[in-house]
Amino acid sequence: MARYAMVIDQERCVGCQSCTVACKSEWDVPIGGARTRVRPAGVRGIYPNFTSTFLVSQCNHCDKPTCVQACPTGATYQDANGIVRINKQLCIGCGSCVSACPYGARYINGDKGVADKCDFCAARVERGLEPACVNTCPAKAKIFGSLEDSNSAVFNLVYHGGAQRIETSDVNIGPNVYYLAKPEQMELAAAAFPPIPPQTIAAGRVWSGLVKKVVFLAVGATFLGQAVAFFRQLNVGEKQFED
Amino acid sequence: MGNEISRRKFLQVGTGIAGAAAAATGAHAAVHPPGWRGDQRVEQIATNCEMCFWRCGVMAEVADGKVVKLQGNPHHPLTKGKLCARGNAGVALLYDPDRLKYPQIRTGDRGEGKFKRVSWDEALDFLASRLKELKQKYGPESVALFPHGVHSGFFATLMRAYGTPNSAEPAFAQCRGPRDIGYQLTFGRPVNSPEPVDLEESKCMVLIGSHIGENVFTSQVTAFADGLAKGAKLIVVDPRMSTAASKAHFWLPIKPGTDTALLLAWMNVLVGEKLYDKEFLDQYAMGFKELEAHVQGFTPEWAEPITEIPAARIRETAHAMADARPAVAIHPGRHVTWYGNDTQRARAMAILTALLGAYGRKGGIFLPSKLKQGRIPLPPMPESERGRADREPGLYPLASEEAYGLTQGLIETTLSGNPYPIKSWIVYGQNIFESIPVRQKTLEAIKKIEFMAVVDVLPTEQTRYADLVLPEATYLERYDPPAIVTTHKRPFVAIRQPAIEPLYESKPGWWIAKKAAEKLGLSDYFPWTDPDDHLRRLIAPLNVNEQELKALGAVSFEGKPYIEDRSEDDGPLFPTQSGKIELVSTVLRDFQIDALPKYEAVEQPPAGFVRLIYGRAPVHSFSRSENNAWLDDLMPENPVWLSTEAARRFGVSDGQKVILENQDGVKSPVITVKVTLAMRSDVAYTVHGFGPQSPGLRKAYQHGFSDTALMTRIAIDPLMGATGMRVNFVRVLAAEKA
Repeated sequence: MARYAMVIDQERCVGCQSCTVACKSEWDVPIGGARTRVRPAGVRGIYPNFTSTFLVSQCNHCDKPTCVQACPTGATYQDANGIVRINKQLCIGCGSCVSACPYGARYINGDKGVADKCDFCAARVERGLEPACVNTCPAKAKIFGSLEDSNSAVFNLVYHGGAQRIETSDVNIGPNVYYLAKPEQMELAAAAFPPIPPQTIAAGRVWSGLVKKVVFLAVGATFLGQAVAFFRQLNVGEKQFED
Repeated sequence: MGNEISRRKFLQVGTGIAGAAAAATGAHAAVHPPGWRGDQRVEQIATNCEMCFWRCGVMAEVADGKVVKLQGNPHHPLTKGKLCARGNAGVALLYDPDRLKYPQIRTGDRGEGKFKRVSWDEALDFLASRLKELKQKYGPESVALFPHGVHSGFFATLMRAYGTPNSAEPAFAQCRGPRDIGYQLTFGRPVNSPEPVDLEESKCMVLIGSHIGENVFTSQVTAFADGLAKGAKLIVVDPRMSTAASKAHFWLPIKPGTDTALLLAWMNVLVGEKLYDKEFLDQYAMGFKELEAHVQGFTPEWAEPITEIPAARIRETAHAMADARPAVAIHPGRHVTWYGNDTQRARAMAILTALLGAYGRKGGIFLPSKLKQGRIPLPPMPESERGRADREPGLYPLASEEAYGLTQGLIETTLSGNPYPIKSWIVYGQNIFESIPVRQKTLEAIKKIEFMAVVDVLPTEQTRYADLVLPEATYLERYDPPAIVTTHKRPFVAIRQPAIEPLYESKPGWWIAKKAAEKLGLSDYFPWTDPDDHLRRLIAPLNVNEQELKALGAVSFEGKPYIEDRSEDDGPLFPTQSGKIELVSTVLRDFQIDALPKYEAVEQPPAGFVRLIYGRAPVHSFSRSENNAWLDDLMPENPVWLSTEAARRFGVSDGQKVILENQDGVKSPVITVKVTLAMRSDVAYTVHGFGPQSPGLRKAYQHGFSDTALMTRIAIDPLMGATGMRVNFVRVLAAEKA
């Protein structure tokens, strides 16, 4: 069985956001949403000697995913190959998983009223294709493969090549997106976009607890379908893109 | 040698590429192979991109008659399946709800934006009748074409057949011209596009103002990242810490306008310390003795106060280049119309390249290979006795005679009526307000013309001034002439073919030009029946299988990129007047122009002002892409960058709303400040192409600001007429005070 991971080579990345747009196109990500993002991590130093870098971020497909625990309906789950996925049929768009992700990797898709995030392009991977972002990246900065395969580039980079996770003492849930960067760049990126312990952000969403209760009731009463539809509708925004 | 012979010979060389085609490679494949997008089965149609001019290979994925995704085309020899953010966002251009949908004739005042919808037949009749009338009244030369892009050839043919020699692309006088002339003077051929810079094999990459990474040509980014990963040293000369500079081993934050001083000081070190490639120069170059004497005084100590780069740093970087020679890739740049002395700066870069033995060598600049393009025989073009109207005869001696011209010159002539009146503009594929500086003149000139037709995809501002607006199909809906590319290590032919039928009533450029020719009685100049016929004639000598080409999108051939690959049959290595690399230019000497480049000081910003410089962002292509919903989502406006020090001086802070005011009192709209530590304090930087003034571009209307609108001054290169645009100064006013 494969165990999928990605390595992002910050030294190759030029921050061009090809990955963001390829992903948007592959998965109909609405305006304002993103399954993968590229953010400048700022500049540090004294003129003219500076450190700067980008941080490419997306779902980390963590070993201990907090989003799976947070999901009230079981819509978010983890495959045996490590890919954390969302069953859109079950998702009610309550946002609990969005709050529970320390890496800010999820968003609510306003077109569909469901949570959305990177799934390592599972549908492509199953057909032997690379994830869309890896496929398009002009800098070849994204490397995808299985940590169970000792011949894979990710195996070598993770176990022998110095690829690192972005974790803190508070947040260590085993992210499977790794980074190759100079130590000072790594420090800069981690400082600019630190993982946030879930309880800190979860407190913000008062109504999500209520939703959970209602959904559990609904599930108990086998009104799951209606409940899902009802809550999803709450989250459907205006469709922004006409064709 | 007399000037006229010198000039003619100079303008001829480097254009006569002909030779036998090597055998095509690549497997046969079904015409439109299927693929997958998510869970969706799609048909894949190979074509090439036009979100910018790099023309990366694309696989358009089509389902139910709609383009659902664009992928990089893995068969494309240049871009090998990679596609940038803009390339991926081509879908949002195709389905942009603001597209021009049908032909329109102006009913309101110029600029007002009032039009009536007409049929194509009416539109083309209108075009033909106006053009016939203008020809009768003022002669055919009174019509000027403002084209852009290789696909504009259909309109170039149309207008030349009509009888006007007046055509000008910003690609020359607002972009690449000085570079191509400078390298042609030195090596006997222009740089061309894509630039043959061997970044992936380089041991030392030198970028002078080039900001690879923010300027994304996919294959160049790949080669840049590969070169770095293999351990190449990177030297970046830029007043701002660009993305490339942030990866550099040596970032040299140069004082703007002093690059030639740095280049001369580098030459001084290489020559003085005998670090140059003597064997290479002995064999291939002329003029070394004169160069040696010329650069003697230009020490790093001389350059330090000029460039504000420490002498030790200049030496250190010269040594880094010498250590890596000949695998030193000095990127010739692309948009190089900066200060009006740009051809001589390009010359200095070319000479430096020669000193390092880095031309025709692995890791440097490689040689173009030969591909024989088919020709479509046409009747002779009418000769104009009046000559070109974009410049006085003799002015700008090295301005290109044939394909390009001086856009600003045509505008000047429209205003002045000298040497003869220009009464009509035909615009295809360019955005005259954003590409050509001194917008006020463009606006005044428009008032003087009697007829203006614009062929465009989107309702750009210029369409509002047109008498006739013709909606072109996007690159995903049309055939364009194939790219026959020689400046790649494997020369190739790549095609553009429609992925779907044109939407609305839009039509491909070839169709518009051919139909217009019919109405004008010029059909003989369009002797091909349809795109397939046109393609077949152009690729005939290449011996490629047409079905394979259509399926794979591109076919490549063996190349001869390095000197050691060449034999005498391949023609002269250096097709200059002397047949050698001309460290001292014989053409310039014949014209009694400095045959070796000198440093000339440029005007500095007055007290209280900083120099306005500009560049690119990876998610936009100049002024073309701002209305693209996916790209607007990533970058809806262009902030003005200031250094921490400059922001303090102007009393503004990061994120604050401000107004820029230039030296002539022209103001920007309210814009946002971005403050950075990593930039010089005598410049303000922004991304070019924003601030569209057409309400028809509903997404991007007035997003950000136009840097071009603040360019009320230009410095013209006396050699070839390019407009230096980094000669404008701005001050920053807090928005509430302004």
